[in-house]
Amino acid sequence: MKNKPFNLFLIVLVTAVSLWSLWPTWRDYSLSQQMDRFASAEDSLKFSISHRDEIENARRKSLKLGLDLKGGMHLVMEVDQVDLFEQKAWNKDARFHAIMAKVRQKAATSDAGVIDLLAAEFRKENIRLSRYFYDIRNSDREITGKLQKESEDALTRAREIIRNRIDQYGVAEPVITTQGTRRIIIELAGVSDENRVRNLLKGTAKLEFKLLREPEVLLRVLDKLNTSLASQGSVASPATVPDTSGRAVPAAGTLLTAPPRTAAAARPLNDVLTVLQNGNVYVSEESREFVSRLFQRDDIKALVPQDSELLLAAKPDQLPDGRNYYSVFLVRKTAELTGGVITEAKASFSAEGAQPEVLMEMNSEGTAKWARITGANIGKRVAIVLDGAVYSAPVVQSKIPNGNSVINGIGSVDEAKDLEIVLKAGALPAPVRIMEERTVGPSLGADYIRAGMLSMMWGFIAVSVFMLLYYRTAGIAADMALVLNILVVLSVLAGFSASLSLPGIAGIVLTMGMAVDANVLINERIREELAEGKSIVSAVAAGYDKAFSSILDSHVTTLASAYLLYTFGIGPIQGFAVTLMIGTAASLFTAVVVTKEIFTFMISKNILTDKSFG
Amino acid sequence: MRIFHKTSFDFIKYRKIAYAISIILLLSGMVSLAFRGLNYGIDFRGGSEVVIRFEKNVDVGSVRAALKDAGVSGTLKQYGIDRSFLLSTVFSGQTNELKSLVSNAFKNRFPENSNEIVRIDSVGPSIASDLKWSALKALLGALAAILLYVGVRYELKFAAAGVVAIFHDVLTVLGMFSILGGLFAFMPLEIDQSVIAAFLTVAGYSITDTVVVYDRIRERIRGKKPSEYEAIFNESMNQTLSRTIITGGTTLLSVLILFIFAGPAIRGFAFAVFSGILIGTYSSIFVAAPLVYDWLRMTKSSVKLRGGSAA
Repeated sequence: MKNKPFNLFLIVLVTAVSLWSLWPTWRDYSLSQQMDRFASAEDSLKFSISHRDEIENARRKSLKLGLDLKGGMHLVMEVDQVDLFEQKAWNKDARFHAIMAKVRQKAATSDAGVIDLLAAEFRKENIRLSRYFYDIRNSDREITGKLQKESEDALTRAREIIRNRIDQYGVAEPVITTQGTRRIIIELAGVSDENRVRNLLKGTAKLEFKLLREPEVLLRVLDKLNTSLASQGSVASPATVPDTSGRAVPAAGTLLTAPPRTAAAARPLNDVLTVLQNGNVYVSEESREFVSRLFQRDDIKALVPQDSELLLAAKPDQLPDGRNYYSVFLVRKTAELTGGVITEAKASFSAEGAQPEVLMEMNSEGTAKWARITGANIGKRVAIVLDGAVYSAPVVQSKIPNGNSVINGIGSVDEAKDLEIVLKAGALPAPVRIMEERTVGPSLGADYIRAGMLSMMWGFIAVSVFMLLYYRTAGIAADMALVLNILVVLSVLAGFSASLSLPGIAGIVLTMGMAVDANVLINERIREELAEGKSIVSAVAAGYDKAFSSILDSHVTTLASAYLLYTFGIGPIQGFAVTLMIGTAASLFTAVVVTKEIFTFMISKNILTDKSFG
Repeated sequence: MRIFHKTSFDFIKYRKIAYAISIILLLSGMVSLAFRGLNYGIDFRGGSEVVIRFEKNVDVGSVRAALKDAGVSGTLKQYGIDRSFLLSTVFSGQTNELKSLVSNAFKNRFPENSNEIVRIDSVGPSIASDLKWSALKALLGALAAILLYVGVRYELKFAAAGVVAIFHDVLTVLGMFSILGGLFAFMPLEIDQSVIAAFLTVAGYSITDTVVVYDRIRERIRGKKPSEYEAIFNESMNQTLSRTIITGGTTLLSVLILFIFAGPAIRGFAFAVFSGILIGTYSSIFVAAPLVYDWLRMTKSSVKLRGGSAA
């Protein structure tokens, strides 16, 4: 503090570095202003081409705005480990499923590891894990170790696949990281179609080719279901079925032009299913949710032949009455072929019309299998199943020797493109679910920016005017320090490519109020010293010396609590903590070193006298 | 300008009244916490929140009716920005469905008045429980760290009283959140992550304020007899009073500006910091220092000084 030339040099250096670090932000802003001023789009395009390097450079180095300010999605996705472990198990029986259901229930609300929950649950039932997992000779500890490894692999793979999907979809600068043992955090800025992104991310993309059972078998199964449901009475007259999304699904039967209601008692399924002459079975759009839940029920599954399962179509067909209906399929449980063999996928249009479809090519192993399957099943139907929904079920016309296949029955071109993306990126090892989402639309982001700017401006005006009023000339020094403080905070953010969010701006505004604390302490001390009759020079010196202890303590405690916020908080809170930390640390320099030099200068020029402290 | 020039308030004499006020504040907060509880935000409760903004003015009743007819469950409230509503509902992870359900509900009902879903926040139960734990860890960690730091820099009695003051401040604000929660449409006062950040900020500010008073006491108490303590405590507090009020004032000013201008997302935070600073300023004068004084008086010991002022 005694070394004056060094202090001056430091102040000039800090100011210069701050300005230099914020220069690209200013350039970026003024360039975009310039572009907006052009009358025509061509002029603005021409300008952006001729200044491309400069624009890109400025943009890359400018202060980044957080997702909340520029609009974007923050997603936390969770790999379904219960499903993953179910896939790894063998010899699965009812008892196993019961235990896994319990584990799933506990995992949903607890943050304990799924493996621990699983091991604990099996221990409680007194069953060794080796009965279902890996080798019968393995100890529980070995098995949990293997499952642990399995889940880590699954998380890494899921992250890579998700990254692939996002890269192919095309979002600028996505941030994708893993957290803990089962979470993936995805940050996407400026997404125009959030719905598409969600669909793209959450689908497992498990592609399967499954043989259809004969129509007679399907009808027999439905008969069985009818008998069983009728004996249970209430089940198939679904009143409102509560849905997970918290809304009520309309009573399934009521909206349907159903077969005569008189038969309903004996054949309850007729309320929701329509059987056509050709043996095709349909479920109306309104009842799809209900039927799909019905098919998931264990007692219903038990009525279906062992090696078969009931599936619904992914997309509706329009029947002559103008309503949308979903087909019901009975397929073999074991897939003939799975998506792992797909090497190439391409969205395109079908030959006979504008129907979007996706063409696929297979590797040599897949090609050989596909040829054998198609050759052996000419005249039968093969269902193409993606994530448990049937996209199409074409009749095999002839043996397909070249490993080509096609998915049709796709709703839109966008959807075909998304299918192409997910098929190319490969299937996720286990289902991935969105566990947390924070999406801010661009218009609200613009509002936040405006609100943030207003608060910063008014915060600065209020605090600096107050300092001038209260301390007069001495307030000038504090205000200059305040300006430098804000500059340093912004430049550190820009320099380290950290982004500025709304909580971050709140941190800056709060820092403004607290940063002057050091100057208040110093100025009050100087006033006291002056009151004791000291000269201005010795009063300033004593003021700084005596106030320093309190200033240090108060800064350290503020820094400590901001640091803890940073470590334990996530996302938005970290933004606040970061600006508070930088601001507090910077104020130790700006409010102590800088103001002292300003005071010294002002005293030497006779601007600051013993009357100047108000 | 000088507001508190050469004051000589007898803070120590009136400390009992201050203790009573503090205890009443704390007790009413605790009673409300026990009976009314807290309004947790979706960060800690789990759930989904959707902010819908309409093009033109529309009244909350008809929006509510439209949602009800469409079968959307949940509560709808006016949101703090123009023509906007906040729908809170349970978490499902199926944001797309929720979104289309909401837009369909309005498309038919308000064909002339287009709307936009400007914000979606959705937090699953497992994440919510994680967030709760890390918030608790942050709060406890902050208290421990502050106790440690002040304990090293000052005597343990000072440090302990300082931490008591922090608890006093944070618990009083928490109590206010419980008492006032849900009473005002423009600030629901839900406990979410940003409010936890506010509590930590309040804790940091509270100890900062206290430390300044302590620092002055430490500076003057050196070599004095216990009989002179009362005068020293009073004089120290009077000497730092100006600083305490001015810093509190500038900080309050900036937080007030946040409350007014920064929008509804920051309002709960701003309220917590604002009331926390008010109470923190009060407690550094009326709680933290008097507690040390009483403690010293009861143990009849003189202060063992550690550290010291930079002078």
